[in-house]
This record gives sequence, structure tokens and C-alpha cells, in this order.
Amino acid sequence: MNTSATTPGQPGPGHSEGGGQDPAGLLARVARGDHAAYEVVYDQFAGPVYGLVRKVLRDPAQSEEVAQEVLLEVWRTASRFDPVRGSASSWVMTIAHRRAVDRVRSESAATAREQRLTPGPVSGDDVAELVETALDRQRVRRCLGALTPVQAESVKLAYYAGYSYPQVAKLLGIPLGTIKTRIRDGLIRLRDCMEVS
Amino acid sequence: MAAGHELHLLTGSYALDALPDNERAEFEKHLARCPSCAEEVRGLRETAARLALATAIAPPPELRARVLAAAPHIRQLPPAGRGPLSANGLRRLPLSRAGLSAGILVLAAALVFLLVTNFSTTQRLHQSQASNQAVAAVLAAPDARVASVPAAGGGTVTAVVSLRQREAVVTSAALPALPASEVYQLWVMTPAGAARSAGLLAVSLSGTAQPAVAGGVVPGDRLGITVEPSGGSPQPTTTPVVAMPVSA
Repeated sequence: MNTSATTPGQPGPGHSEGGGQDPAGLLARVARGDHAAYEVVYDQFAGPVYGLVRKVLRDPAQSEEVAQEVLLEVWRTASRFDPVRGSASSWVMTIAHRRAVDRVRSESAATAREQRLTPGPVSGDDVAELVETALDRQRVRRCLGALTPVQAESVKLAYYAGYSYPQVAKLLGIPLGTIKTRIRDGLIRLRDCMEVS
Repeated sequence: MAAGHELHLLTGSYALDALPDNERAEFEKHLARCPSCAEEVRGLRETAARLALATAIAPPPELRARVLAAAPHIRQLPPAGRGPLSANGLRRLPLSRAGLSAGILVLAAALVFLLVTNFSTTQRLHQSQASNQAVAAVLAAPDARVASVPAAGGGTVTAVVSLRQREAVVTSAALPALPASEVYQLWVMTPAGAARSAGLLAVSLSGTAQPAVAGGVVPGDRLGITVEPSGGSPQPTTTPVVAMPVSA
């Protein structure tokens, strides 16, 4: 996969928290109906939103539809973004992930998806195929690599495949009580690893 | 209901949207009471966002034109100010069969509550925002139903019940003010006569209760409110001012 999520000259998300491209400042302008700001927000987040939704849903057509919903939701609800409660990336990606997971768990989608996925669960490893030179990707890859195999697998299955923790437990053959701990420990280690780097 | 310690372990699953719906609602109630959990969730959400950014791929080019063309035709939400229901949990509104106007009554009550209540610390604000997600989850349930009844002694109590989620959101308008030594307490009362506390109602000077979530509600139960000594009671000690039946 050689496509770049951002066009040249535009900083990628996660690297642009300062200056005129500051996502939080842009969202404040979007909340005031500023179309130019929304275009920049689109260019910053369309790649990650589409990538994440596609990662979870797999189906390109459905992913495009959900990504469109998410991006328009960002326009519609920009006034509700509160920088005190988290970063712009976190706000947008939370909306995107929730939407994708809602879609997965709605029954019709679940059936279709199960058929596509049988046999066997996704390994979660195919995130590697997307790894390019971007700093974020290297960091994520390195930090995921620093987890125990079970921690890494459970975080990936929960987040990238959109499985609930009971489903993750079943897929990995691990007791329910244990999986909650694995997911939390894994995510905490990821957090600490990414903070350091 | 799981013990607090065990619930705390769910921060990671919650941040990854990996909780089944019923557990998510329960955990969101826990979040409202657990500032350290809320803080941890916040940090873990940031970490999850990093995982998301790593998946970026170029979307189909035509998506850009479509989205940018559609946006100007979509009305934007006004700022929510410090309204408690600005939490993103509200995304799943509108209420379906529940009757939008009654839902709005509850939302309005919540907003009024915040406006008349001085939330002096950000911690309390965080707590209220987290609890709003639990409230919003009930309001957004497809089977949500609304009922309002007058309270003995004055005022009105409104409940939104989702039997599927086994939860009810209760609020009030114009409940009489109580002396400092007394509080309003919410109960889930079973047909057999047992009562389970669903917590104290935070009632403003104008008699508006901050929406409270009662869990484990099944058909045949009643939602009751009693006046209790400050701090609440393990069991009701006075005749309920309201006892709303929950029907299927």
C-alpha cells in the first residue's frame, strides 16, 4: 500500500498540533461554519477516518459510507468538541471507531461480516501492511511489538477488528476475567510506550 | 453488578469500544462516580487514537467532493455551553417511539439543572459528563418509553425506561425544596415489596433533579422516590412521594 493519507504540503494528523493547522483551533472554526477550515480538517482526518473504518468493516463500499457519515458528523457536532477533555484526534477517532463498531454490531452487518471472515479470526497483523514511513506508524508498530503476544493480539482484535471483549476472549481461548486485564494492561503499556517516544 | 475494583479493569475495553452494550451502560454509571477511572479512560482514548492514526489510507478521491458538498446543507449543532448533555453520548438521539417531546423535557431538565447549579470543580464536571453518557444511552434506546406523574406534595417526576437495557432515567420538575437534613432518594421497588436504592437525587432549588439512572429495572417494578434523612437510608423510611409502575 503506497498511497499516502495526506497530500504533500499538508502535515499528517498527529504531527500538526501547533501553528495554523492546529486541529483544535480548526475545529473551533468549523463550529462557526468556516468551510475553509472544514476542508483542512477533512484533509487531515479523512485518511485516518477512512483507514480505521475500513480496518474494522473491511468492506470498501460500506467503509466509504460510514467514513462519510463520520466526517459529516465532525462538521455537524464540531461545537461539542472540548479541547479540555482530549485532543482533536481523539475526539474524531472516537466518533469514527464508535460508528464503525456500531455498524459491525448491528445484526445484519454482523451476519455479513461473519460470513466474510470465516474461517478463522483476523490476526490483526495486517496493520503491518499499512505501515509506511510515518512516525506514528513506526511508533505504534514498535510499541505493539513491545507487548506480550496476548496483550497485543487482544488490543488489536478489540480495536482493529471491532470485537467485544467476550468475543476476543473466545477467539483467543482465554477466560473472560483474564481478557479484561490483558486488554487494559496492553493499552496502558502502549500508552506509556508512546508517551516516552 | 460487579464490584468497583472489577469495573475498574474495564477502562481498557471501554476505551476500545469493546464492551457489550449492557456493560457499557453499567460502566458509564461507574465512570460517573470514579474520577480516576474517567481520567484513565481519557488517556487510553488518546492511545487508541494513535492506533487509529496508524491505519490511515487514502480514501476514494470522490469522497472529498461529496463530503465537502454535503456539509453546507447540514445544520450544525449549536454550542452546548456547559450543558451536561453535550457529551458525545448523545449522538444516538433522536428518541424513536419514546416521544421526542418528553425526551426533550428530560434533556431540558438536565440542562436547567446544570445552569442553576454551580459546578465549582472540573472534577464534578467530568463526573456529570460521564453520567450523561449513561443517561443518553437510556434515552437513545430504541424501546425507550416516557412517563410523567405528579408527586405527592407537588412537582412532577418523569422517567424514561428502557426495558431492554433494564434501566430508567428519572428526573423531576418543581419538587418541593427539602431542609438540609433531608434528601430525595430513588428506589427500584419490586412487586414482592423489596426496595433497592438507586441513589440520592441531586435536586436544584427549583426542584429539578439531575437525571439519575436506576439499573436492574424489570416489568412489574415501581420507581419510587422517598424523603430520607440526609445521606439516605438502606431502606425507605417514609411513604413514597412517587411510585411509578414500570410496565412492559
